[in-house]
Amino acid sequence: MTEIPLPPLDGPELPFWQGLKVREVRVQQCGGCGRHRFPAAAICTACGSSEAAWVAVAPRGTVDSHCTFHKAYLPGFQPPYTVILVRLDSGAKVFSNLVGDTPPHIGMAVEAVFEPLTDDVTLLKFRPA
Amino acid sequence: MSGNITAAVCGVGTTDYGRLPGQSAYDLGLQALRAALDDAGLALSEVDGLIVNRIPSYQRFAELAGHDPDYVLTTPGQGRFSGICIDTAKALVESGRCRTVALVYGNSGRSDGMTYGGKDESAYGSEGRMWFPCGMTSPGAFHALMMQRHMHEFGTTPEQMAHVPITFRRHAALNPKAVMREEFDLDGYMNARPICDPLKLLDYCLINDGGAALIVTGADRAADLRKPPVHIRGSALRTAFAGSTFPPEDYWYAPLNQAATRGFAEAGLDRSDMDALMVYDNFTPTVLFSLEGCGYAPRGESGAWVSEGHLSLGGSLPANTSGGHLSESYLQGWALNVEAVLQIRGECGARQVAGARNVHYVAAAPVCSSIVYSGDAS
Repeated sequence: MTEIPLPPLDGPELPFWQGLKVREVRVQQCGGCGRHRFPAAAICTACGSSEAAWVAVAPRGTVDSHCTFHKAYLPGFQPPYTVILVRLDSGAKVFSNLVGDTPPHIGMAVEAVFEPLTDDVTLLKFRPA
Repeated sequence: MSGNITAAVCGVGTTDYGRLPGQSAYDLGLQALRAALDDAGLALSEVDGLIVNRIPSYQRFAELAGHDPDYVLTTPGQGRFSGICIDTAKALVESGRCRTVALVYGNSGRSDGMTYGGKDESAYGSEGRMWFPCGMTSPGAFHALMMQRHMHEFGTTPEQMAHVPITFRRHAALNPKAVMREEFDLDGYMNARPICDPLKLLDYCLINDGGAALIVTGADRAADLRKPPVHIRGSALRTAFAGSTFPPEDYWYAPLNQAATRGFAEAGLDRSDMDALMVYDNFTPTVLFSLEGCGYAPRGESGAWVSEGHLSLGGSLPANTSGGHLSESYLQGWALNVEAVLQIRGECGARQVAGARNVHYVAAAPVCSSIVYSGDAS
């Protein structure tokens, strides 16, 4: 498992990774219009505000799409494996994986699973809700 | 645009495509540039603007070419930049800033072992490392996610998608320069190896080595040169960067539609005036999305539309007559623009669209581009 590529912890998304360690899904919330977004952005594309805070959101969402890799690109990922695109109930999106044996489908309701990988990194995965 | 200068392509040049070991992007660009200058009947000293794409250093390139232009620009090696470069050359010429601009592309990606996806990825939105922990990588996967959703939303089927690569391969069989010329049928497509489901090997462009160049100048000047001018009658770009870490929920419909509408308006032409379409086909889905965004196919119905055979030579909108990126070679839009010029000049041999006067180039990406070429100045 440890050969899986680690995410950048030195970037503006550090609060996201810190949140996962304590089993929270944290995304940026615009201080102007309240819209949630991820990854980090400097300005809200909806209202133009540069005010934002990292907030914990409901660890639930919906599968927007999915694809199944049949080619190896990255260490630690033996094909075939499936990536899902999840729209969190708050509106922000993430790429992730579905744990367990149930294949994903578009519209599937999912909830967060927190998978510790290293001392610093916990991954956000999902399971059918 | 100022005054009455309008831009035209006066020369095009390409190299061979394929695995060309020992030839750098500089070598390939130089070959293509020489071919384009010869095509136009121009000396390099008459070119006062130079824009290079995918070639690492403009300075090294100009030094190798022995060229001291009055304007120079280097652009990133992403396919969306072919349209941007042509749009920029048009603006430079029409503003009077440059008289003649050379656009030069060189790509040694195949010999260099270039792959898309994996640790060096930076094609879409946030940096790739952000998503590597879930295995997400590659432009192909990005388009696979879009295609999956399109299939869900509109009922598009793999059998419908198959028409795109099958048609382009049939065109490639008529193009001696195409890298892949062996035709396949629906069974061949359906049985092709999946790469990132729902996309198969035959939905992916062909990474190869190659170069291409276009020379853009004022239409009045182009009229005195060796080949008939091909007028860049309309050109428009529209970007969609906000949220572009994730696939666009509208399959780039809005930016494509805006770019196409503006390009046609500037050209004084309508989509129904187009004799052929050169559509950026890094993956099969972008063809479908482009057809919808430009209004050739009703929104959501591109799958059924391509099944009617419109894209074939002899159809209502012959597309990628060279074989495109899926079969000729992945020249990141450049060879498709060259093909548009060759079609209008009637130089396409067995794959010629009879009497082609107007050809549309479109690319669906976070920068959508739409260019309308015509053999007629107005």
